[in-house]
Amino acid sequence: MNDLAGKNTIISSLRDVFKVREAPIFIYVIVMIAVFSSTIDGFFSMKNFEIISRQITTIGIVSVGMTLVILSGGFDLSVGAILSFAINIGGQGIVFGWPIWIVYPFMLALGIILGWINGFLITRLAVPALIITLGTMNIYRGITMVITKGVYITPIPSVYSFIGRGYIPFLFYAAVLGIFTFATLKTRFGRNIFAIGGAEESALYSGVPVRRYKTIVYIISGFLSALSGLILVGKSGFVQPQAGLGYELNAIAAVVIGGTSIFGGSGSVLGTFLGSVMLGIILAGLTMLAVNPYWQGLITGVLIVFAITLDSLRYLKR
Amino acid sequence: MISIGKVSKSFPGVKALDDISFTIQYGEVHGLVGENGAGKSTLIKILSGIYPQYEGNIVFDGSVRHFYSAHEAQTGGIATIFQELTVIKELSVAENIFLGREPTRRLGMLDWSVMRDKSNEVLQFLDTPLDPRETVGKLSVANQQIVEICKALVLNSRIIIMDEPTSSLTEHEVDQLFITIRRLKEKGITILYVSHKIEEIFEICDSITVLRDGKHIGTVEKTETSPDEVISMMVGRSMNMMFPPRSAKKGGLLLSVRDLSRIGEFEHVSFDLHEGEIIGFAGLIGAGRTELARALFGATALDTGEIGLYGDRIDHFAHPNDALSRGVAYLSEDRKGEGLMLELSVRENMSLPILKKISPYFFVQGARERELVQSYISKFKIRMTSIDQIVESLSGGNQQKVIISKLLLTESKVFIFDEPTRGIDVGAKYEIYKIMNDLTLEGKGIIFISSELPEVLGVSDRIFCMREGELVQEFTRDEAEPEKVMKVLAAGENLTGGDAA
Amino acid sequence: MRIVRSGQLKIIFILTGVNILIMAALTYLSPTFMTYGNITAVMTRMSELGMLAIAETIVLIGGGFDISIGAVMALSGAVLGTLHVMGVPFYLSIIIALAAGIAVGLLNAVLVVNLRLTPFIVTLATMAIVRSVVYALLKGNVLTELPEAFLNLYYVYVFKLPLLFVILVATAVIMAIMLKKTILGRRIFAIGGNEKTAYVSGVYVKRIRYFVYCLSGFICALAGLLFTVRIRAVIPDAGLNAPLEVITAVLIGGTTIYGGKGSILGSLLGILAMYLLLNGFSLLGLNPFWEVIILGVILIVVIGQEGIIKSFRAPFVRTRA
Repeated sequence: MNDLAGKNTIISSLRDVFKVREAPIFIYVIVMIAVFSSTIDGFFSMKNFEIISRQITTIGIVSVGMTLVILSGGFDLSVGAILSFAINIGGQGIVFGWPIWIVYPFMLALGIILGWINGFLITRLAVPALIITLGTMNIYRGITMVITKGVYITPIPSVYSFIGRGYIPFLFYAAVLGIFTFATLKTRFGRNIFAIGGAEESALYSGVPVRRYKTIVYIISGFLSALSGLILVGKSGFVQPQAGLGYELNAIAAVVIGGTSIFGGSGSVLGTFLGSVMLGIILAGLTMLAVNPYWQGLITGVLIVFAITLDSLRYLKR
Repeated sequence: MISIGKVSKSFPGVKALDDISFTIQYGEVHGLVGENGAGKSTLIKILSGIYPQYEGNIVFDGSVRHFYSAHEAQTGGIATIFQELTVIKELSVAENIFLGREPTRRLGMLDWSVMRDKSNEVLQFLDTPLDPRETVGKLSVANQQIVEICKALVLNSRIIIMDEPTSSLTEHEVDQLFITIRRLKEKGITILYVSHKIEEIFEICDSITVLRDGKHIGTVEKTETSPDEVISMMVGRSMNMMFPPRSAKKGGLLLSVRDLSRIGEFEHVSFDLHEGEIIGFAGLIGAGRTELARALFGATALDTGEIGLYGDRIDHFAHPNDALSRGVAYLSEDRKGEGLMLELSVRENMSLPILKKISPYFFVQGARERELVQSYISKFKIRMTSIDQIVESLSGGNQQKVIISKLLLTESKVFIFDEPTRGIDVGAKYEIYKIMNDLTLEGKGIIFISSELPEVLGVSDRIFCMREGELVQEFTRDEAEPEKVMKVLAAGENLTGGDAA
Repeated sequence: MRIVRSGQLKIIFILTGVNILIMAALTYLSPTFMTYGNITAVMTRMSELGMLAIAETIVLIGGGFDISIGAVMALSGAVLGTLHVMGVPFYLSIIIALAAGIAVGLLNAVLVVNLRLTPFIVTLATMAIVRSVVYALLKGNVLTELPEAFLNLYYVYVFKLPLLFVILVATAVIMAIMLKKTILGRRIFAIGGNEKTAYVSGVYVKRIRYFVYCLSGFICALAGLLFTVRIRAVIPDAGLNAPLEVITAVLIGGTTIYGGKGSILGSLLGILAMYLLLNGFSLLGLNPFWEVIILGVILIVVIGQEGIIKSFRAPFVRTRA
């Protein structure tokens, strides 16, 4: 009996991974890799994969936070602004000559604080998250520009570049993916996020502390935006006030393509990862095929429409 | 025991509960009955902590308890299973059972084995072959309800409130539910069983409390009463006082409906409506009356059937606009969802269907619009400060009068009124009956759908009983006695109540 | 409790007050502010975002959402420039540019109405698509080769007001009359106020939605032409940040994202405040990004006012967790 139960668990967790949403997009990604690899010389190479991994990392990490927010039935338009705020305001520490072990925690703390402000306002004001984060996006970005006066921080000490070398960004991305895949699937936190996104009233009636969990989700999103900022600084070697511009919409695109329902309550971190990979592969493939990379937007748009059409069909079937 | 002492609760425009006092003994199944709008839901919501503001007090375990949230009520030992189930469809059975109080190990990791074992334990206790890993959205409503009961058991609730638990169950599932309830009772759990189905109440309950119009009418032991007595307590008032006398004469044929079907909703429905006539559609919730009305009006497509209007044969209405332009108007049962635009003004709400009539050259003639709207406001004495007031701020009765005015402005000949008196107070109800009566005096015909049997009987000239999507019987006004009609409606549900007693 | 729809009037009064206050302060602080040259410059600058705000307001009132507005604006400029370079007659290029805007609106409408997809995500997708078409058309380049007569519209003044601003005001007036006084406008309010109610009241909801998105596309395309005249060039990044800026201003102006409520006057007052602040900060030599911060705060305060009042009371009243 026990054995059987154990076996069922394995099978059912395999089902959890492959059955529902991620399976189709996983197949698309594989097919796309196969097609590009067979038609483009040098596509299937470590060098190219490194390039792709570096390309998708920054928005990828932000998208993980966005996934949690959307799963809980919310929205976060301020991710790009938080990223920029964290590295620019935190980056003033570099200007002052603070050591890296103070600057990094400082930047991450800024991300957490800004995320908390979002969460606080959303849970207290009864205003849709879309509007609150549209407002805070303006505020955070405005403060960044006012304080930095639009000036780049460059050059920066080379220790800050370490985090951006080779596969290191991707290692961070992988760690974030691992932690939040685990957190969403295996912890109380995860269950409650799904519950809140699925039916907030029901969750409340079931005794879930809705406000607390919603606030935590925005804090995580803020933290991950700041983390993504650190890596961006590492990769580029300077701090730019306009950093993270447009990340919010790109992150939403990755989440939606990854099969997470924009109404909340269903989806996965893994799906978002596959969504990001897909966008990265398409961009790399088109670049190598010498197709004008401007067409990437077209493909992204079509993919989004395709993904939400699937989602709404699934929704209607219920 | 739990005593409810002098509990009152008001909403803008309506006093939902008026000085309610009664007691529930531990370990009994206590029935709470009353018609729609009697105040049952309000009382449940107070007991389960959803309405924290009320007057009076609730004594429980010898002390006054006031629950400020659903969470507090649950930890206090009261679990509620709402008619609209609060399961999360995306999650599994075990996850739902433990929602909000998941057992965890270190780092907030879910302790799946505890969750599964405990879920299995309660599921076995209820003798249900459900897999804790199954996604709840895939279960039948009856099984989703079982999940809710498990939730209550895991919480060690001592009181479980069930709000209309059988409203969407099949006959067999109802039997299963009653077995479950008896099992809970054996375990010493108190159950407050809320329903308006008398037969069920008599089958399962030990004592019965009757509410009517927000007032406590009485609490009786089952053994000391009869279904007839409880029905008369529920219905209460003398009918002749409640309804204006019918004096309209039946005229020519307005509408004839033949063999209307919409698969899964209603089948082979045929009836006629004449000038000056009100025909009532009685039935339980889910009998297919609203679906019939919507399809007749062109809001949804028909599968088969034909409609005759003023002697012309028309296939069907393709869009509500077709129906309205041919003189058929529909008042939706869902006042807020389909009847009103809450954020818009009274004027904008009322003139919507007649915009074309008052905008000959594309521009809305403001003066004409105001004049028309104002005439109905004075006619029906709709209380408001200005015709530009937003409808959200009106009371339920006045909102309903706005919708009815909107329909009357279309100068239609056939009116379909779907639950026009739901959720409004007694005075406003009478006014709506009067409006209906006056319409028939002008030679209009009315299809009247209501779940409140007394008003169907009190207002209609002929009564059609609808059950599971079919018209099962027609009564004339004189033949229709409440008990007789109720029996027809509830047949196929549970009529075993009398035997069990 | 809101009884009459005074919320709307109140916001317009407040916004008018705010604008007057800003103007008074700037007149006092900067000698150059109240000059004919400066005022007309502000008017000209606000023309294209003002147009976008009109489009967004109409879509929001109808219960929709459109973030493709900035991309459509860029598209009409790009189409115009590309066709002109190809030697297509100029009037025809203009017609095709406007038609391109309508086509995007049509695409949005098909996806929202027929596939029943969420407008926010649909227009996010079409935004990406349209923007990539723009980049592809211009190959990322700025295009300045345009007829002099067209570009010189910039210098045309009507009753001493810049033509671009006059076009904005004319569009606003026409659209406001359409919304408030015609049967069509009333139906747009109705479907935004409650789609189902509108449907059972005989409104052809789908047709109205098609109209709304196409109208939005058209107005945004017109905005693209104004923008081209103003900066005397076609640039691929035109209106890149426009959607969020415009939506901020529109929401401040009292239009809601739930539909059925809003006014073009309010939206334009929002846009005006935005440009006055921008102008003021640059005249005073301050960082112009103060404007962005102030707008963000106003947005949250205006829309969250009920919640803010409640949360001040919260310590004294226990509520649901």
